[in-house]
Amino acid sequence: MSPWHRWVDHTSEVQLQVGAESLGGLAAEAGRALGLLLLRGAAAEPAGPPRELAVSSADREALLVDWLNEILFVAETELWVPVEFELREASPIRLRGVVRGVPVEDAPSIVKAATLHGLQVEEREGGLQAEVIFDV
Amino acid sequence: MNETPTTPTLPSVRLNANLVEIPVSARPDMRVPARVWADEELWQQISRDRTLPQLLNVATLPGITGSAQAMPDAHEGYGFPVGGVAAFRARDGVISPGGVGYDINCGVRLLASEVEAAELGRSRLEGIVHDLARSIPSGMGQGSHLRFAKTDLDRVLAEGCSYLAERGLALPEDLKTIEAQGSLAVADPAGVSERAKHRGGGQLGSIGSGNHFVEVQRVETVFDLEAAEALGLWVEQVVILVHTGSRGLGHQVCTDWVRSMDAVMARHGIQLPDRELACAPFESPEGKKYFGAMCAAANFAFSNRQAITYAAREVFRRALGNGGHLRVVYDVAHNMAKLERHGEEDLVVHRKGATRAFGPSHPETPEAYRRIGQPVLIPGSMGTASYVLVGTDEGLGLSFGSTCHGAGRAMSRRAAKKIQSGSEVRKALEDRGIIVRCASAGELAEEAPHAYKDVDRVVEVVHQAGLARKVARLVPLGVIKG
Repeated sequence: MSPWHRWVDHTSEVQLQVGAESLGGLAAEAGRALGLLLLRGAAAEPAGPPRELAVSSADREALLVDWLNEILFVAETELWVPVEFELREASPIRLRGVVRGVPVEDAPSIVKAATLHGLQVEEREGGLQAEVIFDV
Repeated sequence: MNETPTTPTLPSVRLNANLVEIPVSARPDMRVPARVWADEELWQQISRDRTLPQLLNVATLPGITGSAQAMPDAHEGYGFPVGGVAAFRARDGVISPGGVGYDINCGVRLLASEVEAAELGRSRLEGIVHDLARSIPSGMGQGSHLRFAKTDLDRVLAEGCSYLAERGLALPEDLKTIEAQGSLAVADPAGVSERAKHRGGGQLGSIGSGNHFVEVQRVETVFDLEAAEALGLWVEQVVILVHTGSRGLGHQVCTDWVRSMDAVMARHGIQLPDRELACAPFESPEGKKYFGAMCAAANFAFSNRQAITYAAREVFRRALGNGGHLRVVYDVAHNMAKLERHGEEDLVVHRKGATRAFGPSHPETPEAYRRIGQPVLIPGSMGTASYVLVGTDEGLGLSFGSTCHGAGRAMSRRAAKKIQSGSEVRKALEDRGIIVRCASAGELAEEAPHAYKDVDRVVEVVHQAGLARKVARLVPLGVIKG
């Protein structure tokens, strides 16, 4: 399964559906989708040296949310929006990856947090799929 | 995964023209019934998305009392519906970070000027709106023009607006007309992580993005002369409405504490239909620590609106000299959990996109407003009317002293953009004589008036239901968007 994502309508928030062959692929694709959202159509050309992101959580649902919240934190505090992800470790309780990003002048707008609302990482069609709602 | 939100057919009983009840028997895990304050049209709108299933989830939480309620501006959120009110017994109930939301103490402040719209004239008004946009940073990550050291930030978190008064950024009289005097004494900065301080500490005095704004408005209509007089409001008066919250600091406090609560629920024997409702007993160490952290973030939000007030005062002084004074009419939260006495019980009242609305006889109503009730500020969507109401004594028994918080979204951001582009929204507002300052055309399109419910209808429901009383209707002259 090639990684994919799409945004679906939600009355007040932003809702992401994402799929990939593996948990690492899912985290990479969800991260890429979030990065593109934060850039709001600006060029997603990574620049500068890569850096490592890592999170540990109780299970793979919390792990995906923590991963996305880490991306938000880095983007907002370091003015650097991650867009390319190479996952080096992806277990149900830990994600670690090398990430390349886009420097931005202003902290990116839009998203407050990724939420656990209704979140399930499901095995479907030979891969994993998830749906994440972001508070905006 | 289903692209179209579905609402199961739920049993419901219309109790009166403005109230619908879903009985406790609707789902086996509900502990109390759910109540929705809505006329028939709003009820139909509210029933279209996942508001009701989310409200029923809230009705399952431990220690909930009375009913889980949704206000007429309610819509689906993530966990609690936006427009949700739930009260939990302090002795055996829970507190939920998701029930407060990521923008802790998002709220509204109304400032009254001493001038009328005609006195300002178009040219001077344009100058004021431009200067406000220049002086008050907007956009989500935009930092503050004020500089605070780390020790100052800890004092903001602990003391809120009283510390800003010490720094000369608030007048002593400002504090008398802010909810809780802008300073929640139980605030505990120790529960606010270094990450939260790093993320939002530099944002004091800024608006943020989304539906947050500063508007220059005109009092268009007064419905209740006595109350308007007590509030110092009159027809044609120029006022400023500030709508913002605790910025990145509050977002991170909630993120941190949803994670912490999620980890301890099993130990407390709590099972939930939705993990975003993560909670802990109010009296547990985790519950108490979150409450202290939430109150610290709330103090930051009160202070944020105070710092914006300081900047707005400077702008008015530059434009109007001694005639440019701005008085704080009131400042009220609409994302908060408060420990309140209701009857014989201490309750932890969660208002997620809902405004506290205490009546004249409530001890927390400011002294100056004891004849009329606590002011309730309802921001409209950008470019539409906003309202000033006052709480009622009757509302305490009906809705734990709560009312709506705005118009409430009616459609997604993507759907709103399909109807009108940002430049079309800007033109439509400017054609109505409204001055618009917003850097992002995308945000203008997402926050267009057609994306929201009819604020007049929403306010009419809470007025007719007796939850709050209409005092004045305000219309925009200039909009500064985050």
